[in-house]
Amino acid sequence: MKHELRMGLAAMAVGLMTSVMPASADFWSDAGAKYKGVTLHGVTESTPPSNYIKDVLAPAFEKATGIKVEIETTSWDQMYDKAIKDMEAKTGIYDMVYIEQDIIYAYLARDFLVDITKSLKDDPSLKAPEYDETHFTTFANYFKNADGDLFGIPMEAFIKLYLYRTDLFNDPAIKEAFKKETGKDLVPAKTHEEYTQIAEFFTKWGKDHNLELWGTTAQAHTGHPASWYEFFESIAPTFGVYNWGIDASKNYSASVANGGTMNSDKAKAALKYWLHLRDIAPPESPASTWTEVGTTFAAGRAAQGLVYGENAAWIAADAEKSKVVGNVGVALPPLAPGVMEDAEAGKGYIGYYDGGAFGLPVTSKNKEAALLFLQYIGQDSVQGDWAVAAPRITNTATYDDPKVIEMDKKLNGYYTMLKNDGKLFAGAPPYPFHAQVREATAPIFYKILLGEVSSDDGLDQMAAAAEAELKNLGYRK
Amino acid sequence: MRSNRVGWLMLAPTIAILGIFGIVPFLYVLYVAFHQWNPFGANPHMIYNGADNFRRLVFDNEFLTSIAFTLKFAFFAVVSEVILGYLLAQLFMREFPGRGLFRTIHTLPLIVAPIVVGSVWRLMTTPSIGIIPYLLKSWFGYDLNIGRDATMAFALTVIMDIWHWTPLVTLTLLAALVSLPKEPFEQAQIDGANRWQIFWHVTLPMIRPAILATVFIRLMDALRTVDEVWMLTGGGPGAATRYLGLHIWKIVFPKTDYGYGSATSIIVLYLTLVMCWLLYVALVARRDQKRPS
Repeated sequence: MKHELRMGLAAMAVGLMTSVMPASADFWSDAGAKYKGVTLHGVTESTPPSNYIKDVLAPAFEKATGIKVEIETTSWDQMYDKAIKDMEAKTGIYDMVYIEQDIIYAYLARDFLVDITKSLKDDPSLKAPEYDETHFTTFANYFKNADGDLFGIPMEAFIKLYLYRTDLFNDPAIKEAFKKETGKDLVPAKTHEEYTQIAEFFTKWGKDHNLELWGTTAQAHTGHPASWYEFFESIAPTFGVYNWGIDASKNYSASVANGGTMNSDKAKAALKYWLHLRDIAPPESPASTWTEVGTTFAAGRAAQGLVYGENAAWIAADAEKSKVVGNVGVALPPLAPGVMEDAEAGKGYIGYYDGGAFGLPVTSKNKEAALLFLQYIGQDSVQGDWAVAAPRITNTATYDDPKVIEMDKKLNGYYTMLKNDGKLFAGAPPYPFHAQVREATAPIFYKILLGEVSSDDGLDQMAAAAEAELKNLGYRK
Repeated sequence: MRSNRVGWLMLAPTIAILGIFGIVPFLYVLYVAFHQWNPFGANPHMIYNGADNFRRLVFDNEFLTSIAFTLKFAFFAVVSEVILGYLLAQLFMREFPGRGLFRTIHTLPLIVAPIVVGSVWRLMTTPSIGIIPYLLKSWFGYDLNIGRDATMAFALTVIMDIWHWTPLVTLTLLAALVSLPKEPFEQAQIDGANRWQIFWHVTLPMIRPAILATVFIRLMDALRTVDEVWMLTGGGPGAATRYLGLHIWKIVFPKTDYGYGSATSIIVLYLTLVMCWLLYVALVARRDQKRPS
């Protein structure tokens, strides 16, 4: 009897499973059937995570649903050009646009994006069983409005971290020479003084030994905003200058005179520190954006540097592209006293947490089909391989994926750092005038880089230019 | 009456295309130029502000600097291209072994898209990986760094433009030279004119229309150059190569200051027209007035 009962229960369980499983497995084909023949168009920056969407996730989605997805990967500038023009002119060309963390506030202010949370609530038939927005890491908060509704599916998230060459830092001859010259052990820097000392040492070491080696990278292009970003998002915060030195609570002030910090003593010290590093960095630095910095480090031309995490994986693990595979260490950026305490208390941050999401423009002509695709790329099940192919983690569960744990070892603990210390980093401040203030102040910044104006005077001028632009835009009264 | 109707009918497609793609956008830009309009401003809508945008331009140092750099760029590029193009056209008038091959190779840059030209030149000039800095360092011990050296960055944009567009000038002038009648040259030789006199008094006046057309085309192109320079220098270092086209692009797209960008575009269009008119007066009208009736 017991045996019969057991068999009966097992049969019932199998029956239940077989009746439930196909429903779940077939969700994509069932949901996609209504939109068969539709072609979704997306535009995004050509980065490893975006290329993975284009090459892997889009074809897989098409196979599962019958909905075709065409992803256009282009340069950062072009991507914004195309997306903004499309949404502004309401042409409806794009069904998905890449939203970098720093532009979301501007897009929300213009009501460019569909409220994903609300849309899925309003039409539960579109909700994929595996998709759950609570599975995202806290990075998703950057893409939510005040009510907590999500406006973009996070698809890349990484920190700009301090990379150093473990082969050089562990070389006995180099360690001895460093100790002899400075009286200190050669370990990753924790302060700006230590970082400078290491950079100076390696630049001299490269010169003395006729090596193509310099002490640090520098993202110091003299005509591209990459240099502006490096300073305001990665260097200035480590000196305690946050949110680009603009204080929204004080009538959007940038100058010290009005309550801002863009031209504060800390900002001026930060700029002097960085300009010195730029001077002892490889000669390509004045023409380097974020891409070239990654390439410089991968070519083995720098002993240490601040590098965007999206490049960390291929630098550390792709032998076809990188000469320093297996020799890359990761650390937190060097900091001024008090900055770590600020970050831990939530009053500041120690570096840049970058990333982006895929949003759905209100002008899209295929919103329902696009919502399906966005959920598809937001599922836990696709995250592991994606994180290995491109170093980004947007879902909490991804940290425990065996493939990711294995990759973490190759990256010397990058994912562990992202998980444990990610909270100490921050994205761009929640301003809707991101590009406008940058473009108003960048020309002065380039003059500083060229030595046409001193760093102190330049920052004063930048603070004034930022306030003038904010007034012109109507934010500053 | 009937032929008039047919004429208008034949012209209608051209007029329609010109109206839709030329006149209507121009009128729209003119309309926007009299408004403050930044979609990411506190008020994202168009606000009529009279001639404020134009007034602002007069005091805008970045704009004025951009004009100065653009004029300098256009002058050096166009003059070099016309001289070099003429010399090459004269060369191709002569018979020499491999002329056909050389002419084909020389014309190849014309079929390359400007954005590709910029990318290729960027690769060739990037410090540490580019062949040009490498050769300059090896041969002359000179460190070329276009990220730091404004003069070199400017010079390279001019050289890149010359490389790209001289073949156009060559082909135009070659066509003009080939079509010239032989008699005036034979007559000049019989009269004992030397090479310089033949060039100055016979060749030049006869090919002036072709030169003028080429100069106009190249001048207008040089004044609105964007893609190549954007790829090569991004407008830098500093503002050294932020020519007008690039300047307007930065105002309109990254900065999204549509009103001010439109006003800048209108002024640049006006400047281009004025320059072409001045050139026309200097090279053609005044000479025609002097010609005995």
